[in-house]
Amino acid sequence: MLVVDNLYAGYGKSEVLVGTSLTVKQGTVVGLIGPNGAGKTTTMRAISGELKPTKGTVMLDSKPVQGLDASRIARLGLAHSPEGRRVFGPLSVEDNLLLGAYHRLPRFFGFRSRAAAELERVYDLFPRLMERRRQSAGTLSGGEQQMLAIGRALMAQPKIMLLDEPSMGLAPVVVDEVFSIISRLKESGITLLLVEQSASRAFEVADYAYVMERGRVVMEGKPAVLQQDARMVAAYLG
Amino acid sequence: MNGSVIAQLVVSGSLMGLVYALIAYGFQLTYATSKSINFGQGELVMVSAFICLTMTNLGISYWFMVPLGLMCGALLGLFVERAGVRLALEQKNEGWILLTIIIGLFFFSAAENIWGRDDRPFPTPISSEALQVAGIRITPLELSVALGVFAIMGIIELFKRKTLLGKAFEAVAADRDAAELMGISATKTIMLSYSLSGVVAAVAGLLVSPITTVGPTMASALVLKAFSVAVVAGLDSGFGVVLIGLFLGSLESLTSYYVGSGWREAPGLILLILALAVRPTGVFGKIPIKKV
Ligand SMILES: Nc1ncnc2c1ncn2[C@@H]1O[C@H](COP(=O)(O)OP(=O)(O)OP(=O)(O)O)[C@@H](O)[C@H]1O
Ligand SMILES: [Mg+2]
Repeated sequence: MLVVDNLYAGYGKSEVLVGTSLTVKQGTVVGLIGPNGAGKTTTMRAISGELKPTKGTVMLDSKPVQGLDASRIARLGLAHSPEGRRVFGPLSVEDNLLLGAYHRLPRFFGFRSRAAAELERVYDLFPRLMERRRQSAGTLSGGEQQMLAIGRALMAQPKIMLLDEPSMGLAPVVVDEVFSIISRLKESGITLLLVEQSASRAFEVADYAYVMERGRVVMEGKPAVLQQDARMVAAYLG
Repeated sequence: MNGSVIAQLVVSGSLMGLVYALIAYGFQLTYATSKSINFGQGELVMVSAFICLTMTNLGISYWFMVPLGLMCGALLGLFVERAGVRLALEQKNEGWILLTIIIGLFFFSAAENIWGRDDRPFPTPISSEALQVAGIRITPLELSVALGVFAIMGIIELFKRKTLLGKAFEAVAADRDAAELMGISATKTIMLSYSLSGVVAAVAGLLVSPITTVGPTMASALVLKAFSVAVVAGLDSGFGVVLIGLFLGSLESLTSYYVGSGWREAPGLILLILALAVRPTGVFGKIPIKKV
């Protein structure tokens, strides 16, 4: 589904990614963990086209997509829910969701009815968004904004979803809620690359995990195996 | 001071004010999506007015000429985006300021060469015979200015709120990179905003030409006032530019009547200086609500 090979990317002169490689198979949840500044967000941005990689390949469905515009890659079926949620503050909750499905919908009229089924699915998953659908997204709480950011990505009916630190800045109970949603999405067969600072959280839902340090993958494996690894325990699970 | 004189001055001043508001609205449209504005907007007003005049002289009927004129406005707006703004935005610098000024100068000298320096009357089927409404004299032509301004702003606002493309427009304004992640092409949205802004300029040209006549410098004063209005109202409130436009227009006509016509430009200037000194986000500009 998604194969990243030997990816290099950075900001201006400073290189952040120095040969990152990872694979996400169809229908699996893959965790990407690592300390602050390891380059997890940069990896996601280089995959989704927000940042142009300087070297390496990104294959989506066996087609190379590196170097394409983010909007092109999104239309090819990759939904990236970015770090910090980035909901459209002045727009209503429902408009945010509709825009998530932008590339599948008619541009002028009739888009609401075409999106109705998907919208209902997202509201089923997040009843709170249903209650607040006319409220402007900027006035939601952090947790609600995170749900909206996930819902917005789901609206695209993506082949693969990239989710960057959904727990950022949220109270532990809210994080529990977000992760129970992720488990439900996993049961329904979603293909997901999940960035998470807390390794134990990521291991709850992941089928496979990569550990990143200083711009490259330093360890990988099934959570059950990684949890036994002495270095892993010392650095992340202590 | 006489009440009916004041009312008369306020009404005729307001009409000019609405034109300032419309041009200011054109600034807002492109600022929303690209954080850039066309400093040559006045030249777009002027060139589209000249094109409309030429079409009329070729015998094209007024109501057929109007949509063609708007289309030309859209194309001119696109030209400004393609030839000037895009280059600067791609390199993430402020070069668009200089580029749009230069494109404006280019339009100005092209117009002088093609159409000459004289001011020419602009024929219109709308009557300029004054009506008396509640003791105030107003011509159908003046009324058409108000109607035209509200119509075009209303249509664009409806487009932004009711269509998915319009919502995408607002999304790019709110967070360009996040919008790209939804599959929305920011480049196309910016092109759209420049063509809408060109349409708005063409409408302004069509509306004021019968009153001001058509000439290369017809819009230079208008655009300065529009700029003051945009700065005072803030670059994100369509409602704000209408209010401030009405206010400035009335103030100008009152000033020129009671203080002297030489002081006509003073209120705009004072307002602009006050706004820059006291409230750089504008009276109606709001800081975007963002919670992390
Ligand atoms: N916009 C930027 N401009 C310049 N440098 C940046 C930018 N964004 C990130 N960096 C740098 O790139 C490196 C990797 O950052 P990145 O955000 O990818 O890390 P991360 O693994 O996501 O960290 P965190 O867990 O804190 O989110 C850091 O050293 C950071 O300072
Ligand atoms: Mg990060």
